[in-house]
Amino acid sequence: MSRIPLRAWVGLVLLVGLGALSLVAGRLFPEALANTCPLGWDLNRPDRSVCVLAFGGLWVSLAIGLAAGALSTVLGLAVAALARLSGGVTEQVLLRAVDAVFALPDVLVVMVLQLAGQSLMDAGMGGGLGPFGLMVTSLALVGWAGPARMFRDRLATLEGQEYVAAARALGGGGVHILRVHLWPLLRPFVLAVFLSRLPSAILTESTVSFFGIARMEPMSLGRYLGTSYAALIYEGGGRVVIPAWGLLVLLVLGASLASQALGGGTRREV
Amino acid sequence: MRLIATRLVRQLVLVPVVAVASYFLMAALPLTTESDNKRQVSPELAASYQRDLGIGEPLGFMRPWEKLFAGERLGTSAQGITGDELLQKLSGSVGVGLVALPLALAWAVGFALLRTRWRRGRFAVLGDVLPAIAFGTPVFIPALLLAPAVVERGHLLPELCAAVVIAIWPGTFLGTLVGDALETELSRDYVRTALSKGLDSGTVLRRHVLPNVWPALLDAVTPVATALLAGSFAAERVFGLPYFGQLYVLAVLNKQVAVVVVSTTTFATVLVVVSLTVELLRMLVDPRAREARA
Repeated sequence: MSRIPLRAWVGLVLLVGLGALSLVAGRLFPEALANTCPLGWDLNRPDRSVCVLAFGGLWVSLAIGLAAGALSTVLGLAVAALARLSGGVTEQVLLRAVDAVFALPDVLVVMVLQLAGQSLMDAGMGGGLGPFGLMVTSLALVGWAGPARMFRDRLATLEGQEYVAAARALGGGGVHILRVHLWPLLRPFVLAVFLSRLPSAILTESTVSFFGIARMEPMSLGRYLGTSYAALIYEGGGRVVIPAWGLLVLLVLGASLASQALGGGTRREV
Repeated sequence: MRLIATRLVRQLVLVPVVAVASYFLMAALPLTTESDNKRQVSPELAASYQRDLGIGEPLGFMRPWEKLFAGERLGTSAQGITGDELLQKLSGSVGVGLVALPLALAWAVGFALLRTRWRRGRFAVLGDVLPAIAFGTPVFIPALLLAPAVVERGHLLPELCAAVVIAIWPGTFLGTLVGDALETELSRDYVRTALSKGLDSGTVLRRHVLPNVWPALLDAVTPVATALLAGSFAAERVFGLPYFGQLYVLAVLNKQVAVVVVSTTTFATVLVVVSLTVELLRMLVDPRAREARA
């Protein structure tokens, strides 16, 4: 079993720690957090403290990042596996589709998908998707192309190894080789790609929420920042904005460190 | 030439795909008037949207483009726009992006050099922390921190501030890539050989190392261009710049469906042009790219 790099541990501990802290402080004991918050109350929402809003938003942003990251990773993996198993023209067509989706800017497409999804929900045709589900689906629909390209390239590299050729020569089918021989080597890379999608999803959601297009309830960090930024104009207004920004940076730092370290580790292994 | 033509066709296919996809997505929106929800549209507005999109007309999906090229106002309210206005707003956003690009490149080179230097010292951790801060900071945060000085007190030029703000993430991203590529190339045998033969380090860097680093830099330019243009949306909103980003966000917020269709396609076209330019540059500076495609 390969050793997990220290940087990956630092990143994972940071992520889990922030998630646990946010869950305990923001969700389980919000009253305690409200009463002891040294940053005071939010100017726009006099009934809630800055700590409650920031830690509550952190939990929502983290949940969105995890769900959207997981969904886009699974979609990307499925497309990459399908491309490699099909080969030939089908693989080329799929790769062109991946390139086309990858070329589109996340924020713009998510805005359009939010507009479409919210119109459907307003008309009672949302299919049971709430704001959270809609945001996760939108982020996954724009976020699968990057992982698909990375998985496809990694699979193509792994398939070039001698033991795979030997397995194929012994009569192993495509699905069998993928499941038994390639998946164990691909697994750490999948984790690294999933972690790399996490900050991207969180930041895209933040930006779309900031524009006031997403209707995230409960409020995410991005929506909180987007609705409270006017506080910066006032003297000492930074206390409202800077804690949420700090939490966002720590979240992305954790995910980036873990993703880079795990990705580097798998590169060395192969 | 054939390779460039193939690439051109592949990229250009993206534009009609985006145009058709965004049109049918907008045309399929249930712009009903049955709910009391405030985000729903009035019956007059719903009819206007349908006229704008040409729903029910033969070749209706061409309707937004016909109106645009005929110089008619596209859209149903004050946010409607003509083709000339669209080009004007787009040139504003592209202008901000073009100012941001050299700023990003300057920041990238500076950061790459600092990172290479820090790697051997006690500041090595900054090489990880600074990118994480840059990657973890949405564009609107630095814009918001600058906003009081720019918007309220009018101390600084909003366009320049927008360019500075949107250059941070791409600059750090490029800096990380250039730093990694530089480090890899500097540790290769050919660099040691060149140095041992008496070439000075500046010449080795210019003649031998940089030509091998350019391709990595060019590979990153397309995502960076996307980030610059998309980042300008947030900066324009904070600094109140009336360009393409503002137009797009307002079109989405006000359900100006025809404007969304046209703006999305225009944006995709800009990205295709950028991507093709980068591809041509890549073939020009990287002989391996020409050989690999031959």
